[in-house]
Amino acid sequence: MIAPKHILGTFDEALASLRNNVLMMSGLTERSLERAMKGLFERNDNLCANAIADDEEIDQLEKQIDKDGVDILLRFQPVASDLRRVVAAMKLSSNLERMADQATTIARRARKLNQHPPLPEVELTRPMYEHAMSMFRDSVDAFVREDVDLGRAVVQRDDALDELNRSVSHKFVERMAQDPEQLRGYLNLIFVGRALERVGDHATNIAEDAVYAAAAEDIRHQTVAAPA
Amino acid sequence: MTTSERSVLECVEPPAELASAEEPVPACSFQVKNLSIWYGEKRAIDDMTLDIASNAVTAIIGPSGCGKSTFIRALNRMHELVPKTRVEGTVLLQGEDLYSSAVDPTIVRRRVGMVFQKSNPFPTMSIGENVIVGLRLNGVRDRKFLNERLEKSLRMSALWDEVKDDLHKPGTSLSGGQQQRLCIARALAVEPEVLLMDEPCSALDPIATAKIEELIYELKTKYTIVTVTHNMQQAGRISDYTAFFYLGRLIEFGPTTKIFTNPSERQTEDYITGRFG
Repeated sequence: MIAPKHILGTFDEALASLRNNVLMMSGLTERSLERAMKGLFERNDNLCANAIADDEEIDQLEKQIDKDGVDILLRFQPVASDLRRVVAAMKLSSNLERMADQATTIARRARKLNQHPPLPEVELTRPMYEHAMSMFRDSVDAFVREDVDLGRAVVQRDDALDELNRSVSHKFVERMAQDPEQLRGYLNLIFVGRALERVGDHATNIAEDAVYAAAAEDIRHQTVAAPA
Repeated sequence: MTTSERSVLECVEPPAELASAEEPVPACSFQVKNLSIWYGEKRAIDDMTLDIASNAVTAIIGPSGCGKSTFIRALNRMHELVPKTRVEGTVLLQGEDLYSSAVDPTIVRRRVGMVFQKSNPFPTMSIGENVIVGLRLNGVRDRKFLNERLEKSLRMSALWDEVKDDLHKPGTSLSGGQQQRLCIARALAVEPEVLLMDEPCSALDPIATAKIEELIYELKTKYTIVTVTHNMQQAGRISDYTAFFYLGRLIEFGPTTKIFTNPSERQTEDYITGRFG
């Protein structure tokens, strides 16, 4: 159901502006992660540099969203669903900024890997990347569309990503033992895997905030039953 | 656990129990059942049922004309002063039917005090006389008792320190905020069980408002307080329970935290978020 407009038109404008900045930040973060991983898969240093450069703009947007959120709290003193949306937007921006930091980590590790002969095991990170990005996109969708079911579903998918990371890291450690010459390379890939796992953690946080914003339900730190 | 960790934990107050949205209302001062009130042909209150908790602040919110003032006036039968008023339903105060034919309305008003939107000290009386006028009208003549009650009431309304040397001055010589606290002291002097407040801060500046709000917070340990307010933030700050009225009907009633974070009714949400109309 679409909520009717506020009597105070400037309140609607302020909320819309906050939401647009969150969407823009989300788009930039997604692009940054894509560039970093593409830079890794395609051994493209330029893409890695772009991903690292994106971080500054995302940091600025985080500050802008926090400022806009505080302004709204101060000027309009929102309550009920308005309050939940503002609080969730401010928490979302913090998670997006940390995701962008993970993109920077991946890009830096990729640049190091690109200085050495290619490792075919890079492809082992692809399923993790796809899983993490799918969680990320769905979590933002859950926030935008106020889709409680989708938010809950994203939270449940984090365990699979953690398991993928454990399994891939284990393979990298095995390869280190077999080929000590490439130890640094495999270590960099382990850090890439860990960054993707953290992207999943932040997507989970966003999904939890989306559920809170939409349904006023705090689903953090709950043991979630596996889907039937 | 290390010694330093233990010593820190010993200094920390255990957290208060969190109130659940489904938590039942504790002991009730008022039990209102199927209350309807008419002014002539117009029905101002339509079949309201709610329990008002003891030693808590209950805020009544809603747009103008929704029946807020009529409702709280019905809690001490003041609405009967308006001609052609008719009441159906029951209002129990500590289990006693306020509308029973055996009950004297003046006794009800002594048990249930009221403070109005605009401070209204008696203009011909001094500060001191304003406070004890209710006791005098009830036949109390003991000077020592009156002086003790005067000081106690002014202390409870956080006014004593400001007026103790000026008790002989006219009540109207005080500032707006002080006059409102004087009216609260006057209401408290007869030791009521309940204090009704009809927009008590709407004519006051932010500092005077803060003093009244602080006072309400302190008074609820001894009194049941029912207040009408148009200020959503004030309702959020001072009340434990909130009732939302619309067109004479009770739309939603519950713990204030629940009403202001996740109201159950769409009309409540639209009103408190400023989407009404």
